[in-house]
This record gives sequence, C-alpha cells and structure tokens, in this order.
Amino acid sequence: MKHLQHTDINYSELFDEFRHPNSGAVVLFSGEVRDNNKGREVTHLEYEAYEPMANKMIAGILEEAKSRFKLNQAACVHRLGKVEISGCAVVVITGAGHRKEAYDANRYIIDRVKNDVPIWKHEFFTDGTSEWGQNCDCMTDANETGHKHHHHEEA
Amino acid sequence: MDKKTIKIVCFAGLQKYFGAETSVAVEPEATYSDVVTELVTANPEAEEVLNSCRIAVKEEFVSLSDKLESVDTLFLIPPSSGG
Repeated sequence: MKHLQHTDINYSELFDEFRHPNSGAVVLFSGEVRDNNKGREVTHLEYEAYEPMANKMIAGILEEAKSRFKLNQAACVHRLGKVEISGCAVVVITGAGHRKEAYDANRYIIDRVKNDVPIWKHEFFTDGTSEWGQNCDCMTDANETGHKHHHHEEA
Repeated sequence: MDKKTIKIVCFAGLQKYFGAETSVAVEPEATYSDVVTELVTANPEAEEVLNSCRIAVKEEFVSLSDKLESVDTLFLIPPSSGG
C-alpha cells in the first residue's frame, strides 16, 4: 500500500475498506490543518517527504503495531504538497476485537509517524511569512545518530 | 590519499542553507560526523539544524560514528514534523 499521496485523502472510502468480522472496534484519526499555530494565523500547509524512506517506514510501523496490539487491520496515509485549512493531512485507521487495542494502536501509530518518519510540515502564515515545523516530540530514542531531541508543542 | 567527494541530499529547512543537493570532500577514512563538520564549516549558520539532523543511506538511518566506506550519497534528515 502507498502511504503518501499528493491528492486529497478520502477517509470515508478508506474506512469502508476496514470491515472485518473480528473487528468490534475500528478507530479513525484524522489529523487536520488548523487555522492557527502558537498564536499565529495559518493560511495553509505544505508537506514534503523523503518519499521512499517515509513510505517504507510507515509500512514498518503499521506491521509492528498490528503485531504488538493484535490488530486485524491498520492503515496510515499522509498527504504531501499543499493542504488547505480543515484539509486532512494524515489519517490512521486501526481495527481490533476491542476498543482499547484499537485506540492504543492508533495513538501509537500517529505518534511514531509524527516523530520518526521523514516528513516535514511547512507552515504559511497570513503575514506572508512561512516556517518549517519542528514538532518532533521524540517519544522514543530510536536512533543513536546524535539526533538531538527537541521538545515542541504537539500539533 | 586524495579526498573523496560525497553527495548530500537535503530536505525541508536545510535547503535554505545548502539547496536541494550539495557535496563535501572528506578523507577516505571519514565518518558521517566528519561530513557534518564539513557542512558546518561551509555554512556556520546551519550548525544548529545540522546538529539536530539524522543521516540516512539507502533508506536506513546510520550512526554518526560509522565510517562512510563505499558510500558516496547520503540523505540529511532534519527532525520530522509530519502530522
């Protein structure tokens, strides 16, 4: 499955694919573009990725989550390019027998994607300026490369 | 021995300092850390962001202390900010 796309994410269609006879709980998280960040008015966002690596890493995170939380299904699709206010930037869907696993796995997947996967957010503001996002919360110490952990506000 | 040239692919905010691609010349026995040092020398204003970057080769993260050996292209990965 391709986990990155330059066109709108139709999460209703994705959700419909997530029927499974053993899934009593299916959780859908949609990360959407806010019209403000840290007190500044946002006009839109643009996402960039190191695509082959990001796609491969998301696939790996989903496989790990499926095994760890005993999921029946897991999906994640992230937008690239320009995303308008209220547009869907990322969607995560998890299906499990019961809600606890579906919720926990969903949170785990979105946190890993935000923190680890080489995808970058470029925020554009109403005053004409722009800024690259740096909201790496680094919940895990996943590497030993000297990557200094920044602690920023959750988007 | 002569230095070898390493191609570096940059993303996101790093492109402000180095463009989409740059290169540095390093000793044959150099580590990834030496590459970062060369980049800081080339553009001291980028030091803070360079120190927060990870390095990937063939779509896998590598350790700064590893030697480049046969590697001639690397990808400099600033802190992720997806979602």
